[in-house]
Amino acid sequence: MKAIAAQDEAALAQLYDAYRVILFGLLMRILNNREEAEDVLQEVFLQVWRRAADFDENRGRPFTWLVTLARSRGIDRLRSLAARERVAIAGTRQESEAVSDAASDAFRSEQRGLVTNALAQLPDEQKRPLMLAYFDGLTQTEIAARLGAPLGTVKTRMRTGTMKLRELLAGKGESFGF
Amino acid sequence: MVHNDYKEMIPAHALSALDAADERVLNEHLAECAECRRDLSEWERTAANLALSAKPMEPSPQLREKLLTQIRSEKTGIVRAEKSVSERSASNVIPLGRPSRNLWHSLGSLGSIAAIILFAALLVSVFMLWQQNRELRRENEFFQLINAPGSRVAELSGTSEATGASAKLAYDKTGRAYLIANGLPRAPEGKEYQLWYIVDNKPLPGKTFAPDHSGRGALNDQVPEAARGSATFAVTLEPAGGVRSPTGAIYLRGEL
Repeated sequence: MKAIAAQDEAALAQLYDAYRVILFGLLMRILNNREEAEDVLQEVFLQVWRRAADFDENRGRPFTWLVTLARSRGIDRLRSLAARERVAIAGTRQESEAVSDAASDAFRSEQRGLVTNALAQLPDEQKRPLMLAYFDGLTQTEIAARLGAPLGTVKTRMRTGTMKLRELLAGKGESFGF
Repeated sequence: MVHNDYKEMIPAHALSALDAADERVLNEHLAECAECRRDLSEWERTAANLALSAKPMEPSPQLREKLLTQIRSEKTGIVRAEKSVSERSASNVIPLGRPSRNLWHSLGSLGSIAAIILFAALLVSVFMLWQQNRELRRENEFFQLINAPGSRVAELSGTSEATGASAKLAYDKTGRAYLIANGLPRAPEGKEYQLWYIVDNKPLPGKTFAPDHSGRGALNDQVPEAARGSATFAVTLEPAGGVRSPTGAIYLRGEL
């Protein structure tokens, strides 16, 4: 990040190569549209290029920063698309071609496996609100309406779900390299 | 609300799932509570893991080249700007900065002095024309928007942070917007002003801008559809490049 802040183009290219597959997968999951997802991915790395100096390594690792940035930009784009075109993306997701695990390195595949396993251990009633918040950008009230559940129940389930997820991933922080 | 109530809201905040009212009170608390800010960082790390549950996918190979071309052009732009500034200052400053005993030798004649004065005047005129042209372009864009069918104009007034400031935000029915602001204090290093569209107490982020030395600033933006009918508009001072939720003081505010 320091090299990028010093306008080192090769360092940005290296960061792009390391994270493009994860971030593009995330943006595709949010937007379900290659063109929009690529546009947002480009915006994200441009922002990284312009604002790498703002990256505070005490607050987290580049993974967290990049994912948070990409997800936030992706949700913003989703909202603006939905508002502009009333596109009901949720529920009409197309299966997009995913890369094989060989395309991402084995280390990342292992991390994905850990997260997928942790999520699989959450009851559906706790997992769904988390996924709706994270990938669809819904607020707790919107989630309650979507699931037809009382707001208080949704809040409790989200809290329990995130705490359980944290417990399940606890102690794996080092191997995650985040 | 007690400390633990805020702590319980943090996991949902890390997923940006809080409703606007909850988000506002928690943000106020976070501004004062270092412990909760640390908690939020931890929860953000947990939330970021969810990204790994999405299938990894490969963007098109052209995107990498497109990105690198764009950063190269930005880089070249900066280098050119720096070079042109240094060249300009070299041509202006070095001859005039030399000791006076050498000045007459280097200038040679009164004609040279006149030429330098003329050149300096020309530079000033070009700069003024460039500024006027920029102002005219801004105003032209603004008036085009005002005259578009179904367009609306919101007036924003300076808050206690900038009592002499004011702004107008014009936008057409497609949401294409133009903001012209006056009287804003200069943004400190690393900061910019950011426009916000506040709908049902929820701030939707707009773009950022930095005013010039005279406190004038302008920006093009797209008003979110939710904010086009009725909304409060605000301008805050934020880290350069903008943020998702407002963190800085409000300098301008207005509504339709």
